[in-house]
Amino acid sequence: MSVHDGPEGTVVAIDGRRLVLRLEGNPPGPFRLRVGTRQLSFHCVRDGEEVHLFWEGVAYRLRLEREGARPAHRATSGSLEAPMPGKVIAIKTAPGDAVRKGDELLVIEAMKMENALRAPRDGVVKAFRARVGDMVNPGAVLVELE
Amino acid sequence: MPLFRKVLIANRGEIAVRVARTCRVMGIPTVAVFSEADRDAVHTRVCDEAVPIGPAEAAASYLNVEPLVEAARRTGADAVHPGYGFLSQNGDFADAVAAAGLVFIGPPGGVHRRMGDKKAARRLMAAAGVPVVPGYDGDDQGDETLLAVARRIGWPVMLKPSRGGGGKGMRVVRAESDFATALAASRREARSAFGDDVMVIERFLARPRHVEVQVLADGHGQVLHLGERECSIQRRHQKVVEETPSLALGEEGRAALHAAGVAAAKAAFYVNAGTVEFLLDESGAFYFLEMNTRLQVEHAVTECVTGLDLVRLQIEVAAGRPLTRSQDQVRARGHALECRLYAEDPDRDDLPSPGRILAWSMAEGPGVRVDAGVAVGSEVPVHYDPLLAKVVTWGGDRAECVERMADALAHTVALGVTTNLARLRAVIAHPAFLGGALHTGFIDEHLGATLGAAPPPTEALAAVAAVLHAQKANPTAAGRPAALDPWAGLGSWRLGAGSGRA
Repeated sequence: MSVHDGPEGTVVAIDGRRLVLRLEGNPPGPFRLRVGTRQLSFHCVRDGEEVHLFWEGVAYRLRLEREGARPAHRATSGSLEAPMPGKVIAIKTAPGDAVRKGDELLVIEAMKMENALRAPRDGVVKAFRARVGDMVNPGAVLVELE
Repeated sequence: MPLFRKVLIANRGEIAVRVARTCRVMGIPTVAVFSEADRDAVHTRVCDEAVPIGPAEAAASYLNVEPLVEAARRTGADAVHPGYGFLSQNGDFADAVAAAGLVFIGPPGGVHRRMGDKKAARRLMAAAGVPVVPGYDGDDQGDETLLAVARRIGWPVMLKPSRGGGGKGMRVVRAESDFATALAASRREARSAFGDDVMVIERFLARPRHVEVQVLADGHGQVLHLGERECSIQRRHQKVVEETPSLALGEEGRAALHAAGVAAAKAAFYVNAGTVEFLLDESGAFYFLEMNTRLQVEHAVTECVTGLDLVRLQIEVAAGRPLTRSQDQVRARGHALECRLYAEDPDRDDLPSPGRILAWSMAEGPGVRVDAGVAVGSEVPVHYDPLLAKVVTWGGDRAECVERMADALAHTVALGVTTNLARLRAVIAHPAFLGGALHTGFIDEHLGATLGAAPPPTEALAAVAAVLHAQKANPTAAGRPAALDPWAGLGSWRLGAGSGRA
């Protein structure tokens, strides 16, 4: 992808196409956009390394990646991360247990609801990195699987 | 002369904002209360005064009777509106408000206790001739007894906290092998949400529809119904989409349901606005589920078709005024729908998604109403219910109402947290929804599979690239100092390939 200013607007080369965009507005929007004869509005705001986009009725969360850098990746395949902040209220298995994909590993309470966190794949529980009663943040590794 | 000197709103979020609006229209000053997590929340800004009531944890703030009553006394309020959730159905709170010489805008403590105990309510309704779901409402709560009862009723059964509400602690148990685990989890949730873990067990009805009757009773013996609402579109037993009128009822069934709602309210010696909930099975038979002794989240659809302001009526009744309308003077016109916008992720088991609202723009236009509790910059705390806003549309008929909803949802911008918007749009567009074939398992049956994460179209990625480029070239374009600009300091970036729907 490349972007530069042209006489008719911002020129974006993407997916083998060359688009000329005329853009008005400031984050978080609404932005007004013209591409050829087509015009529409959208919302877009950056938050750290994420861009939040609302385009034609759909909200997207896009990840920014530095050119040349190793692509960022989320959950390491061998672990289960906390998907949201909350309190660990129950642990359902123990290190050494064989689990199947979809088995309940632990329960987190957030926003007054209990949320069961399930094994992302078959494996053996190597270690728990959280205890009952712990407050955990999103992305914190809770269980290591092997 | 306003009916009250000042009303304290013992709640937060969209309902606190909504109650404040009617108070303002009626010329009544309002007091907001807020926890430490809600210091800058929208509801604190729309009231005339705002009082801190404690730490973020609900148990220490919005569920804590003493600071709420004290805040009312200190600000000179003479009435308290509890909203929904929190202490709205807590008899001790209603009593404490009354004992402080203030008016509780809702039924008295005794009514909350009578209907709040699901066991006792079931017994009361059965005695009054209102049909109840076959099940167990006994006092023996031993594990063995409950298991024996469940076996007798036959699988699957429904576990319900006797003092519950809002779906918390409710579980369907499909087989005996799951019973012990489910019972433990339900009790745990019930204890933490309601401080009580007594359970009711009922037969689980297959593909039931949820219908409910809005009732309104003054303190002078007059009981009205304001029609029904259908709330069959649910996830985890919590309502997501509601509408009125229900397509499931013929003229006769509708009249019978309304009459049962009024009979239930009379049996409960009800005062103020309340809702009698029923399950409707495939044969058209309906069963009493529970009575909600407060304003409902979904009251707005009733307001749209009747033209009445339920909060105003609550305030008038609480001030001792008799209802001035007869049942014949309550007329419903057209069709209304409500979609609840939640900060939660339908693609990940409805996991709550707290965070900061980075962009917020709601639909408007003829027949569109949005009740919201957040704005750009709002924090959605982890401590409370994740409801962000209610998108409500009205139409002359259901088709027009649904069209308006589809368009309104397409213009519902909430960025920064993950929301259930894609699911709401999928429900509204689904042929089964359009055909009116609703039941409480609708989402699992029709939208159970993940909604998927289609990548954004090329034009959208190009637009984002152009925005990033413009902000890099001119970081003060937004008229803010560069240091505060969220786009400042942008290096050489490309959009990640692994992006998906938020």
